[in-house]
Amino acid sequence: MEIGLNHYLVLSTILFAIGLVGVMRRKNLLLLFFATEILLNAVNIAFAAISHYYGDLTGQMFAFFVIAIAASELAVGLGLLIVWFKRHGTIDLDTMTSMRG
Amino acid sequence: MIDHILSVLIFFPAVAAVFGFIIHKDSMRAYGVAVSVIEFALALWLWFAFDSNVSGMQFMELIPVVPSFGINYILGVDGISLFIIILAAFFTLIGIASLTDTKNVKNMIITLLFLQMTMVGVFAALDAIIFYVFWELSLVPMLYIIGAWGGPLRIYASVKFFLYTFAGSLVMLVGMLFMAYFYYQATGVWSFAILDWYRLILPESFQLWLFAAFFIGFAIKVPMFPFHTWLPYAHGQAPTIGSVILAAILLKMGTYAFIRFSLPLFPDASVFYMYPIAILAIIMIIYTAMVAYAQEDVKQVVAYSSVSHMGVIILGTFALNVEGISGSIFLMIAHGVVSGALFLLVGVIYDRRHTKMMDQFGGLAHVMPRYATIFGIMLMASVGMPLTINFVGEFLSLLGFYQQSHTLTLLAGVAIIVGAIYMLAAYKKMFFGEITKDENRNLKDVNKRELLALIPLSIITIWLGVYPKPVLGPINNSVESIVQLMHDKATSVEAKIRIPNVIEGIVITRTPAGEAH
Amino acid sequence: MENLLYIALFSPLVSSLFAALFTATPKKQFIGIIASLLIFTSFVSSSFLLAEILITGTPVHVEMMTWMATGNLYIPFGFVVDQVSVTMMMVVTLVSTIVHIYSIGYMDHDKGFNRFFSWLSAFVFSMMVLVMSDNYAGLFIGWEGVGLCSWGLIGFWFHKEVATWAANEAFIMNRIADLGMLIGIFLVYWNTGTLQYDGAFAAFATLDTATLTWIGIFLFIGAMGKSAQFPLHTWLADAMEGPTPVSALIHAATMVTAGVYLVVRSNELYDLIPNVGLFIASLGAFVALFAASMALVNRDMKRIIAYSTLSQLGYMFAAAGLGAYWVALFHLMAHAFFKALLFLGAGNVMHAMHDELDPFKMGGLKKKMTATAVMMTLASVALAGIFPLAGFFSKDAILESAFVEHHFIIYSVLLFTAGLTAFYSFRLVALIFHGEERYKLFGIDPHEAYKFMLIAMSPLLLLAIIAGSLKMTYYEMVTALLPATEYHIHNHLVYWIMTIGTQLFVILAIVYAYKKYANSKVTVPDGTSAMENSFGYKLLINQYYIPYFYEEYIVKSYRELSKIFWKQVDLKIVDATVDGIAGVLYSTGERTRDMQSGNLSTMLKWMVAGTIGLLSLAVVFGLAVRYSDAILAILSGLGV
Repeated sequence: MEIGLNHYLVLSTILFAIGLVGVMRRKNLLLLFFATEILLNAVNIAFAAISHYYGDLTGQMFAFFVIAIAASELAVGLGLLIVWFKRHGTIDLDTMTSMRG
Repeated sequence: MIDHILSVLIFFPAVAAVFGFIIHKDSMRAYGVAVSVIEFALALWLWFAFDSNVSGMQFMELIPVVPSFGINYILGVDGISLFIIILAAFFTLIGIASLTDTKNVKNMIITLLFLQMTMVGVFAALDAIIFYVFWELSLVPMLYIIGAWGGPLRIYASVKFFLYTFAGSLVMLVGMLFMAYFYYQATGVWSFAILDWYRLILPESFQLWLFAAFFIGFAIKVPMFPFHTWLPYAHGQAPTIGSVILAAILLKMGTYAFIRFSLPLFPDASVFYMYPIAILAIIMIIYTAMVAYAQEDVKQVVAYSSVSHMGVIILGTFALNVEGISGSIFLMIAHGVVSGALFLLVGVIYDRRHTKMMDQFGGLAHVMPRYATIFGIMLMASVGMPLTINFVGEFLSLLGFYQQSHTLTLLAGVAIIVGAIYMLAAYKKMFFGEITKDENRNLKDVNKRELLALIPLSIITIWLGVYPKPVLGPINNSVESIVQLMHDKATSVEAKIRIPNVIEGIVITRTPAGEAH
Repeated sequence: MENLLYIALFSPLVSSLFAALFTATPKKQFIGIIASLLIFTSFVSSSFLLAEILITGTPVHVEMMTWMATGNLYIPFGFVVDQVSVTMMMVVTLVSTIVHIYSIGYMDHDKGFNRFFSWLSAFVFSMMVLVMSDNYAGLFIGWEGVGLCSWGLIGFWFHKEVATWAANEAFIMNRIADLGMLIGIFLVYWNTGTLQYDGAFAAFATLDTATLTWIGIFLFIGAMGKSAQFPLHTWLADAMEGPTPVSALIHAATMVTAGVYLVVRSNELYDLIPNVGLFIASLGAFVALFAASMALVNRDMKRIIAYSTLSQLGYMFAAAGLGAYWVALFHLMAHAFFKALLFLGAGNVMHAMHDELDPFKMGGLKKKMTATAVMMTLASVALAGIFPLAGFFSKDAILESAFVEHHFIIYSVLLFTAGLTAFYSFRLVALIFHGEERYKLFGIDPHEAYKFMLIAMSPLLLLAIIAGSLKMTYYEMVTALLPATEYHIHNHLVYWIMTIGTQLFVILAIVYAYKKYANSKVTVPDGTSAMENSFGYKLLINQYYIPYFYEEYIVKSYRELSKIFWKQVDLKIVDATVDGIAGVLYSTGERTRDMQSGNLSTMLKWMVAGTIGLLSLAVVFGLAVRYSDAILAILSGLGV
């Protein structure tokens, strides 16, 4: 059986769903970052697959952009995380409610 | 300068108010009086230069603001707006001149001068957007006056006043934008100029919706029943000067806008809504008069009486004939003078006794005979005694509406009975009988500063009641042209019958909106 | 002539304004004198105008200036002196001159002396405007003006609760009628296009009867208020709280007759609608009897005279309603003289008795107050209608006109009332001036009024005696304007039987009154006698419970309803709705702010939910657009 576009898209959807559940359920900030990474990579897979399917490089280019931005975002995010951990000794999301409306 | 007198009238107080910030607070009152005297003199000059025989707009000014959307700074006066502008200048003058000891008198005077700018602006603007800008801006100084110098409930009252009228105005703004869009559809160019809109004949179904949109904005401002409840709070909490300006000028913005916008733009809708509005007006007249009778606070009596009189103004406006509309405009001025004076009079006793509850008074005629006399004159004007200013307006308004409906006029005429009931009852409670409270025994009669405001008002009350012609003449000319315009524009058969044809044979440019589609 | 007219009209205004300058200062005698002189000037000018009218017969008509002009409406300040208005001017200025002079003495010790003259002269001015105007709007000015002055004068002693209450009652009740008047004016304007009498009268002939009937009814409603006809009559008796000269001038001689004047002035209208005329006449006859019955038992001197005024106004309306306008106007004139005299006499008695009003507490005053006694007795004789005094000629003419017009019910009611009138008038005279000197029980030492007051009253006495002889001169003058119907009973026998019969009936009533009340057995009633506990007496002394009914069911319910409107409707419904809308918006915000918990996890959940929601909307709309034709077909199949 040849692996076609649909397989990639199904994989992407499954990964996205896993990431989405992770975003919603995880209380640990670090694991939340993991979940967002899964989300982004799910999209990346879809981009790359569709790009290949259409023979248009734009999608793969976009995937690279996403990777680059995800990396920088993670760098900043982890930095903030470490600062937060040093100050409060925890990275549990439920304790971070200073933005309550 | 006479060419730009309207701009001068609008912006002179505002500029003066800005300079007011650098004036020392001890000389602020003199400065305020000087500015308002100049402003009043300019307003009188406007009257002097005004040609009473011309029915259209005079002293027009036009400065493009956003030409691509037809938003221009257009000003002009006719007989309808002229006297309200003069009244605004006059009341600002006597308001500042008779200002009693107020904390932060400097801020108060600066606020009043800004308020004057917005008031004159509303009545002089001939572009819907400019009108709207001034209309909304006028809320801000009033909000500040009530909120900063008001009574114990001032925050509630001022926020209520602001939000309520603001909400109504937004609906009106939507109506204006819609109207401009129609104009664009019909002619291919954008215009917010009211005079351009006058030439547009709308299909009746559009008129009905647009009329309703404008109506909400105006009715809240007037305020018409059942949108009137902000008014007693605003009056009850506002300082004397705030109530005076609110009653004398700001309320007139609503009724003025009915005549400026609703009637000439939507003649068919005006006829269509005539009876419902007349019924609302009658409810306003009788119901609020009865509520006024039940009040314990004399200022609330005057506040509710304002609503009741505004009902007669609305009724006269929707008489849709020259007699009624002229009467309603005259009554706007009359009511401005009389209710302004009554609020000043309430302020006089409030300054002395720091209460407005009528059961705290009684027998004041013994100790304050002059006060009682002036109050009596204004009381009689308020109940519509002939040869006072109110009678002319009330008589003409009711006379005009009589042509449209006999029964409704009979009901509205109950105004002269219920008006007498609450006013006489209040007067009796305050002035007649023996003095029962010791605090009242040594009250001082009105002093010179108070007389400075009250005597001119009394003179106007009698003068325009005996000889209303100088005011009624110009009003009449402008109203005739508006009624004629409405008659010509009316499309439905009923409207053609209801709105009389004043002058035969005036042809107006017809641009039916339907053609453009 | 024009100048005379202006002098007659404006000198009372000058007098009023002059006196008004001094209202805040202590009493000054000269103000009363100057005011009286100015009113006298007005009287002299009116007399010249009368002479002019008598000689030339041409009315004087001036238009001073425009009052209101807008659209087609044009109302000037126009004044006309014709046969009708000059009659009224004479009555008004003469009585008011006398009352002004009298008041100098009567108000001698009053703090509000200056204020009193200001109001009184203002009243004369308003009354002159009322009678001299040449249009309905001008009439309305005077109409409201006299109402205002009546308010100020009834409530003149404003420290008295009853006085101010009565003042407000009078004003408000008149206002109810004024609404009718106003509607009548509107009807005249929209049907004839003018408010000028001559223009409107000319146009009336072309209108249909229904319209004319409405005009007639509404104008008459106005007249009912001012002339205190049933059911708007209660204010007149209460108005007696005012100073007595005011009662003499306003509530007897002039203001209350304004309604009669209006009907007489609009005679061309009422001629066209005899049905309304008949209604007016019937109401007049009813009021004549109704008021007289209340006067029978009343124990307040001034109220008795007030009811008698009311009753005589009924006579006038009966005559006017039957088309005998000149008779009505003649009775108005004659009545003004003897009724003012009666009131001023009552004022003397009141002063002598230190404001005691109950005639049962007086008695035998003729010894102390001979002049007053003579005057009041003669005035009562005139009122009773005994030959040859004024009342005989005027009242007899009314009875005759009712008889000639074949309205026998009205005739018999009026005849019976004439007997009642004689009875209550002489009951009063007998109680005050004859019998035991009961006032001694109360330790009062009565004294006669100032001599100049008595002299001032004497012209009224003279006129009350001789006015009847002026009847024919008057008839010839006034019929130039009013329908000249002579009411003569052609059968001489019937005429003599009627006249003598009436006279005998009246004299019997007088004799009965004297027999009952001028003896030494009269005592101050203490509420125990059988008569006082009878149903009839109670009904009459309580004025048929009408004031009670008004107070209990109209005034109270109005007050209650006002309270309900304010506390329940305005605050709890209208305002609460507004606040409710604001509250809904506010509480929506309050509740939804929980979404912003600050917890990243929760917010992410909301974000996911929002995204899913939007995506599903997009899908639904996309599908709807794609299958719109099919959906429409289904919907139309469902009948939507």
